[in-house]
Amino acid sequence: MRLLRLVSWPYLRRHLLRTVLTTAGIVLGVAVFVAMHTANQSVLAGFGQTIDRIAGKTELQITAGEAGFGEEVLEQVQGLSSVRVAVPVIEAVVESGLAGQGTLLVLGIDMTGDRSLRAYDLASGDEAVVKDPLVFLAQPDSIIVSSELAERTGTKVGARLPLRTSEGEKPFVVRGIMKPAGLATAFGGSLAIMDVYAAQKMFGRGRTFDRIDLAVAPGATVDACQRQLATLLGPGFEVQTPVTRGRHAQTMLEGYAVMVRISSAFALFIGMFIIYSSFAIAVTERRAEIGILRALGATTGQIRRVFLVESLVLGALGSVVGVGLGVLGARATAAVIGKLAGDLYGVAQQAGDVATDPVVLGLALLAGVVTSVLGAVFPARSAARVDPVEALHKGRFQLISARENRTRAILSAIAAASSAACLASSARPVFYAGYALAIASAVLVVPLVSLLLARAIRPVLRAVRPVEGALAADSLIQAPRRTSATVLALMLSVAMVVAFAGMARASYASIVTWLDTTMNPDLFVMPSPRLDLRATRFPSSMSPEIAALPGVERVQMFRNARLTLRGVPAMAVGIEMRSVAITSRTTPIAGRAPAMYREAAEGRGLIVSDTLAQRLRLGLGDGLTIQAPYGTIQLPVVGVIVDYTDQQGAVFLDRDVFTKYWRDDSVSDFRVFVKDGTRIADLRRRILERYAGTRQIFVLTSEESRAYVLKLANEWFGLMDVQVAVAVLVALLGIVNALTVSITDRRRELGTLQAVGALRGQVRRAIWLEAIAVAALGLVLGCALGAVNLFYVLDIVQRDVAGLRLDYQYPVTTVLALAPAIFGAAFAAALWPAESALRMPLVESLEYE
Amino acid sequence: MSRCRTPVKMAVVAALGAVLALTARTAIVDAATDARPIVEEAQKRGRSTSQRYEGLLQVFEGSGKPLEKRWMYSRLGSHGQSKVVIRFTEPAEVRGVALLIVNHPDRASDQWMWTPALERDRRIALQDRSTRFFGTDFSFEDLEERDVDQFDYTLVGEEAVDGAACWTIQSVPKQTRSSQYTRSINWIRKDNYAWARIDSYVNNDVVRRLEFHDIRNVQGVWTARETAMTDLRRGSITRLALEKMEYNAPLKDSEFTLEALRQR
Repeated sequence: MRLLRLVSWPYLRRHLLRTVLTTAGIVLGVAVFVAMHTANQSVLAGFGQTIDRIAGKTELQITAGEAGFGEEVLEQVQGLSSVRVAVPVIEAVVESGLAGQGTLLVLGIDMTGDRSLRAYDLASGDEAVVKDPLVFLAQPDSIIVSSELAERTGTKVGARLPLRTSEGEKPFVVRGIMKPAGLATAFGGSLAIMDVYAAQKMFGRGRTFDRIDLAVAPGATVDACQRQLATLLGPGFEVQTPVTRGRHAQTMLEGYAVMVRISSAFALFIGMFIIYSSFAIAVTERRAEIGILRALGATTGQIRRVFLVESLVLGALGSVVGVGLGVLGARATAAVIGKLAGDLYGVAQQAGDVATDPVVLGLALLAGVVTSVLGAVFPARSAARVDPVEALHKGRFQLISARENRTRAILSAIAAASSAACLASSARPVFYAGYALAIASAVLVVPLVSLLLARAIRPVLRAVRPVEGALAADSLIQAPRRTSATVLALMLSVAMVVAFAGMARASYASIVTWLDTTMNPDLFVMPSPRLDLRATRFPSSMSPEIAALPGVERVQMFRNARLTLRGVPAMAVGIEMRSVAITSRTTPIAGRAPAMYREAAEGRGLIVSDTLAQRLRLGLGDGLTIQAPYGTIQLPVVGVIVDYTDQQGAVFLDRDVFTKYWRDDSVSDFRVFVKDGTRIADLRRRILERYAGTRQIFVLTSEESRAYVLKLANEWFGLMDVQVAVAVLVALLGIVNALTVSITDRRRELGTLQAVGALRGQVRRAIWLEAIAVAALGLVLGCALGAVNLFYVLDIVQRDVAGLRLDYQYPVTTVLALAPAIFGAAFAAALWPAESALRMPLVESLEYE
Repeated sequence: MSRCRTPVKMAVVAALGAVLALTARTAIVDAATDARPIVEEAQKRGRSTSQRYEGLLQVFEGSGKPLEKRWMYSRLGSHGQSKVVIRFTEPAEVRGVALLIVNHPDRASDQWMWTPALERDRRIALQDRSTRFFGTDFSFEDLEERDVDQFDYTLVGEEAVDGAACWTIQSVPKQTRSSQYTRSINWIRKDNYAWARIDSYVNNDVVRRLEFHDIRNVQGVWTARETAMTDLRRGSITRLALEKMEYNAPLKDSEFTLEALRQR
């Protein structure tokens, strides 16, 4: 401690800016880690809370996928002796008609029995009306809203709140406002309650329920009741506790969580190299000091501990600040992830408060400290080995010996070979080990490659500016340790950018192909302007009505509903196979286009999306069993196609099969093809006029639906972009740090240059060139590592995240766009250090050391 | 749910029109020593083949204006084999809403509700019988037809209610019957075997009190024209007034079906 106080503290205080910059690497890394994980957990917690708060005293929940089931199931369940109370539920995420309010979770319940399961604590309202379930039941426009929603919308009891229903935007009378607790706080407080039978009508559900919530009879156990219900209802129904159902839905977000973990790890990894760079430099700068300490009797262990404790303190400080910033950033991130979760996974939730998990915060602190200490391990070891005599020879320490280079090269080659060998295994842990080895290989070889590259670009720099270019290149060559750490940080950042950009590019290409070949109807008639909201449906009777309109060539009914296949969530899609066979231009990945549609139309086969095929390891001819509410479908896979109807994967059945096994002929949307010679805009107008005032419809053109899908894709990748930007920022901090140190390190050299007549402009340009050269090295190596990184990320996306089989396409345009940004940022990063160097008094500079 | 074997109507009042008048029969029961015959006799006197009336129900809660509802009540049959239709006439929000109740001798009643605004009927599953009946102070259990065999009766004394001498009889649900109440104390008038009051207990606390007022002989059935149910925990009271009372009216079975419920 005494050494720390006598040696470290004065040094850190003297180099406050550098200390701050060094710590900033950890701050940012930890902040990204905390923000992403906390946001992710907040969304999951929000979802869990929504399930929990809605569940109330519910002990078991019965579902049959998203499509629901007939009312008669309720009577069957209520007839069981082990059931005390069973009530029907409809959950619909609908858009409010109020600007800026987004979506609401509308819970359709049966007030006659539901109060046994849920507490509807009312804060205000005309008590006589609100407490009179008869009025609530008699008036289908009755709703009760949460206090939060009421506050946000300025709604009072008796006021009318517009909601978009299948019959158009309708005003609902607010009969009561729930207290801000329990049920009212579900779905982030954006909750409204209405009668379940009114909800059936308003959202076009026919005579179906989404779910039955129940409590078991006194004396009966939950397990026994669960078994009894499973036997009674058959395999098409799921009987789960609310907790299990919550966990099940949370697994849908697991794919996204994998990406969060990867990018967070990258951010921390980059931070570690900033620490390494800074400490390596600090050791260099303080060699004389270390030499004196050693001469005075300080042991190597003491010297090592000084640096390790220093890094520990900085890591702890940086981690604490990073945790704080991360928690602040989590709120905004949670909103984005929450929206994504709803859009992409159909998970009805809204993150309420930011759920700070002490475990995550503790892990972040630990990761920050450990990263910091790890970053300082090698510099500390080097410091401990400083020879008091060598300490007087400035500069030598920055050199990397040929032996060290050789060792690094050998280790790198071994890591690379091992990484390649790992690819032979299909085991995922081995794959991830291979990924880590590939990165390790690159990290190990960076100093050597940096040195070689620095030598290679020396002539180029000299050609640009003979004096300044040579000075810049020599600075890099003479201090490979300092250079390589910065290059390494930049390389990792660029590699991350390349991988994510490549993934986005491949996804885009694949999505666009799908849009062109499958999503090719001219018009989409939908109950909501959002393709992802499936709360409201149309009756099938609309199909002939639309077909009868002048200019309509063909109408296809599309019905989708989430279900569980082999324990994983997926989407069941009922389509008119014969009609789709004519309009689809998709080339199947497996199967033949005319035959597979024919077989599916005859009810002899299923078509699955590639995503689902990947997730369930399905191939052509493999049997797939679907437990539908009204029977078990067992059919072979007759085709595999690229499809993005659902990120979890989709199984396509003929509409007749769907209708038969779900006993539900409602329609999610109609897909309309226009006759030749008819203007799309005219037909769109005709459809809107046909249902004006009678039904809520939205008619999207092919371009609009395309734009919507691509917007969702952008939102998904946008979140990745934020993390990439932070990674680049961390790397740029590294450049500023390295340059600042480089200048301090060369004060005497720079002073001498000015003393012998070098112009201020020359010194300035030399520093600028040095920064740009570092950026160039980082960029080149980053692009190379990015190519490898992209390979691994695409595999992870395919196998562990989304099941998307994406083509490897190197994102050349992104790299071309990134280059000026990196050079510009490096130049900007060099401005202050350059001016700082020039402001140093000449005499003082010459006296340095 | 109750699973009645020999249901006998007892103190079923208010919303379902189960306010039973008891016939002014002169049968003599040696009730001084045995409570059960008193209850049996009281229930026996309330029998009629059908019943019809117009009801006004008022819920008084706090100091605000009472919530009022009016309905038309029709019953065909009696004692566990009856069918009842209640059709709400006021206020405007509930006008046209109708309930069909089919009582069974061996199990709980089936109930359906017709909602004209939705143009559909729904089955009401009375699973939690302690639930309040549509915002009134009656619970669904209070409206059930009760089987005399499902209770044990004890004569606990005599006490006058509104100046009329009454037997005070404690009824305790047997183990085979689930009930929200631990026990009830019934006041049955000695002069006409009409119920004058029922206090229902949870443990040692009275939680609901049902009082019968303006008891008159209507077509040979002693009938309380006004009843009041007090929820002592909530501090609210529900009053029911019966008008245009008619027993043994010529009602048809076809009027007590789901189809009939939908047509009106």
